[in-house]
Amino acid sequence: MGHRVPHVTHYLTEHFADPGYTTLSGYRAQGGYETARRVLAEQSPEEVIGTLKNAGLKGRGGAGFDAGLKWSFMPRDQAGPSYLVCNADESEPGSFKDRVLMERGPHQLLEGILIPAFATGAATTFLYIRGEYAEPARILQRAIDEATAGGVLGSNVLGTGFAHQVVLVRGAGAYICGEETGLLESLEGKKGQPRRKPPYPAECGAFGRPTTVNNVETFCHVPHVFARGVDWFRSIGTEESPGTTLFGVSGHVERPGLYELPLGTRLDEIIFEHAGGVPGGRKLKAAIPGGVSMPLLPAGHLDVPMANEFLREHGSSLGTGGVIVMDETTCMVRVGCVISEFFRDESCGQCTQCREGTGWLHKLMLRIERGGGTEADLDVLEDVAGKMEGQTICAFADAAAWPVQALLRHFRSEFLEHVRAEKCPFPESFEL
Amino acid sequence: MLRITVDGTAYEVEEGLTLLQALDDLGVLMKGVDIPHYCWHPKLSIDGSCRMCQVEVEGVPKLQIACDTPVRDGMVVHTGNERVRKAREGVMELMLVNHPLDCPICDQAGECKLQDYAFDYGQMHTRTREPRRALKKRVDLGATIVFDQERCILCRRCVRFCREIPGTSELAITQRGDRSTVETFPGKPLENDYSMNVADICPVGALTTRDFRFKVRVWFLEEVPGICTGCSRGCNVHVGVADDQVRRYTPRRNDEVNDTWLCDYGRMTYQEIGAPDRISEPAVRGDAGQLVGTTLEQAVECAAQLMRTAVEKEGPGVVAALASAHATNEDLAALRGLLAALGSETHGVPIVTGPADALLIRPEKAANAEGARVAGFGEPGLLLDKIRGGGVRVLIVLGHDIIHEQFLGSPEALAALDGVILLDTHRSRLEQVAHVVIPARHLAEKGGTVTNFEGRVQAVPAALEPAFEAVAEAQVLARIASALDLSISDESERKRETD
Amino acid sequence: MVSVATRAAIDAEIAKMPEKRGALLAALRLVQAEYGYLPPEVMEEVAQIFGLHPTEVFEVVSFYNHFHVQPRGRHEVNVCTSLTCSLRGGRGLLRQLQAYLGVRAGQTTEDGRISLGHEECLGACGNAPMLRIDDTYHLDLDWVRTQQLLDGLE
Repeated sequence: MGHRVPHVTHYLTEHFADPGYTTLSGYRAQGGYETARRVLAEQSPEEVIGTLKNAGLKGRGGAGFDAGLKWSFMPRDQAGPSYLVCNADESEPGSFKDRVLMERGPHQLLEGILIPAFATGAATTFLYIRGEYAEPARILQRAIDEATAGGVLGSNVLGTGFAHQVVLVRGAGAYICGEETGLLESLEGKKGQPRRKPPYPAECGAFGRPTTVNNVETFCHVPHVFARGVDWFRSIGTEESPGTTLFGVSGHVERPGLYELPLGTRLDEIIFEHAGGVPGGRKLKAAIPGGVSMPLLPAGHLDVPMANEFLREHGSSLGTGGVIVMDETTCMVRVGCVISEFFRDESCGQCTQCREGTGWLHKLMLRIERGGGTEADLDVLEDVAGKMEGQTICAFADAAAWPVQALLRHFRSEFLEHVRAEKCPFPESFEL
Repeated sequence: MLRITVDGTAYEVEEGLTLLQALDDLGVLMKGVDIPHYCWHPKLSIDGSCRMCQVEVEGVPKLQIACDTPVRDGMVVHTGNERVRKAREGVMELMLVNHPLDCPICDQAGECKLQDYAFDYGQMHTRTREPRRALKKRVDLGATIVFDQERCILCRRCVRFCREIPGTSELAITQRGDRSTVETFPGKPLENDYSMNVADICPVGALTTRDFRFKVRVWFLEEVPGICTGCSRGCNVHVGVADDQVRRYTPRRNDEVNDTWLCDYGRMTYQEIGAPDRISEPAVRGDAGQLVGTTLEQAVECAAQLMRTAVEKEGPGVVAALASAHATNEDLAALRGLLAALGSETHGVPIVTGPADALLIRPEKAANAEGARVAGFGEPGLLLDKIRGGGVRVLIVLGHDIIHEQFLGSPEALAALDGVILLDTHRSRLEQVAHVVIPARHLAEKGGTVTNFEGRVQAVPAALEPAFEAVAEAQVLARIASALDLSISDESERKRETD
Repeated sequence: MVSVATRAAIDAEIAKMPEKRGALLAALRLVQAEYGYLPPEVMEEVAQIFGLHPTEVFEVVSFYNHFHVQPRGRHEVNVCTSLTCSLRGGRGLLRQLQAYLGVRAGQTTEDGRISLGHEECLGACGNAPMLRIDDTYHLDLDWVRTQQLLDGLE
């Protein structure tokens, strides 16, 4: 498979061009597992958690929660097992970084798992990977088997006496399993319907045991934090959001692909300098900064540094760092149709507002796109989105509402044009 | 105990409860404190998905669902302010997006929570121009329940019920998102002894019982408290009456007896009340040996005469009584009073037994088995021996289920008696040997008290008048006593007081 | 009855999990690989293995896209129609595929060769448009290449 691999200074993807890096020997040849061995042998779990907290590593799965803090919630003195879960259910439209991290650096991920596993006293990590990722699953299973055979995993991890196993679990096609409690339900062999909280997973997670769920990329940063130190890590990125991340750039750009760049890199720099800008000399109309769940930004707002503390001011969020670029031909109502279709298909169906609201939004979008909308429909769209927001078991309904609200906030005039023309006024737009 | 304040009123509540549980336990939920809810049910696990019960808790930024919010000391809750009302309106509008708006032809109309809350929180017009989902209107989930897929609001009460109460798990929500629906497994219908409860707990018109659906509009129903007579549990029911007929039993909540449930067998016993085989007319055996219809006065006189003759000839010991465990405590007291006034001590109660379970269904298949024991009625064995041995000449038989294979076997054993006085609700082979037949009233037709297997004495009023002329057995017995110049009223009164 | 090999594979999955049910999805995938789909009697057998009521298996099967209760074609062809692929022609590709195969998304060709579908984001946005044939991703597609891929399917 021909992935475009970035050529900038970076640590996560530094060795991704080397096919041997996916093997245990290849990984070890680059110094792999040395950091984990040293940390497990020389540090106490408390020290490790302390380092992680000081590093300020933010979760890379969408919510951006402080990873060290999350690990510190795990009870240390409980009888019975506790678990780590690696969320590899990457499904956010516009996000494709975890797949590459698993395909190109499976051992980096495993090393990244071992350190917090040791710090939280977890006996097992469940690596829950979406069902569609057959190839990454194959590569990961091979890496797990190799690591187990090589003494990296198992009853005596890297000769330190720490015992840990990694169990690969495959999903079966449901976006909601990326929500951490939906994932836990699925892991337990149930429908992936998110749980009511509290209790939070750190108290009662997988199989009723204390559990912490982290995204693939979050784990991958960990060995580097310990290899080169907190000061080094904090020297990259922004004050609040240190480190790099893998920006996935897609849509209407010359060079779609993954770009490992410091957090806080400006969105326009990512789009125009790294991804080569919009093809064909066309103008950019809008960009989504972090996967379709995040509110989009119109062309005038792209000078924003890509970190949550800045994006928040623009009413958006970093999400998974999946940048989706739309050129001037793009019909924003069609964008609304595609996004709302996605949320309608993927709502788990528990909460009333989400189950019914996602379908209604989609129907309204389609009708407006086909020229059957009225001005009143725009208010209904806004109102329904408002009724879905902040009132459900998980954040899926919010994620379904926000893009609609942002579309109306920035492109209400395009919706009105549809209503007045009684058809789509963007014949050049992408096919729906 | 914790102190919470709800809409300005302070309450003491127990720790460890959720807000809805606590208010329900206090008896104020929907009776003073209105927190509308669909998925929450006091006897099922918390689901938290309908989102209707959102309330504002001071100090918590987001609205909270009352069903899943633990009570905390000092908690201040607002259940009806503008913010909460708006949230409820939002839920209602979305719940109705795909729900048919045809209440006039829906069988649930009148007892539909969707209809009720839509009235309180709904908009007066619909803003949906999109066609509603067209789904299956009549799915047979099993022998007892019909499912209207379009009306379902996916509250999962029925699914949780089957998993948590009978433990049979026949129902599931399949698919996801707005394609979700309630289904059974192919070839495995809804089939358990409590299946019809799913219709009771369905907050909308999605699940209806095949027995009741579209028989009568609920606003024509008068619902009177009653007791199910199917077994000695004494489940509390609402007796639904329309046009002087009982149309259904539905469970009446009593956490000490039946929670909010009723077994299907017991539920269907309402059909006994309007059954075509009710004894509707007094009769006496004529000269030709046939039962001939007569008046109650004559039947009473005839009964008194049979007893008088027997007592005069052979003494009071030859008059005996066989009572049914269906009789009320009042009827049984009157019977004992009559026997005592006569000077006879010979009586027994046969109690039919059958299958039982760990939930509600008791082995003794009559409502007042324990009441009969408490009233001093013993096993029927001795009495039957005495009858077979010729020691009884006149037998009063009270209530039905007497000639069960477990006791008498056939009425033949009574054929040699000089007098069989039958006070019964339903026709049976006993009529072949009866000399006097007097119609009796069903519990729902006379009210009274029955004592359940745990000794709980439960009183209910009469729910309706019988379709024919009949007086309660206690009064019939009093009239017989008075025809014999005996008084049993004291005994009966004393009995009542001790209950 | 599931084959001895499948049963052994299910038991191996069960052994990995702290609770038996944790292996349900894996078991369903294995059993579906053997039968091609999950008819009621197969779901019942799985339920029996896991000590579940058949409805508990049924609801799980119906929740996830990858489980099927109807027979499927020999190959699954799924076009990604999420926003990023749509921006780069994903939906046009699906339209062409529907016309070429004479079936709509969600249907199977008459010869039982291909079940056509569309899927939400498959995590290959940098290589849009793309599709998945069974377990393999095909990236950076145009219609000519897509046609070649289809024609190569048995």
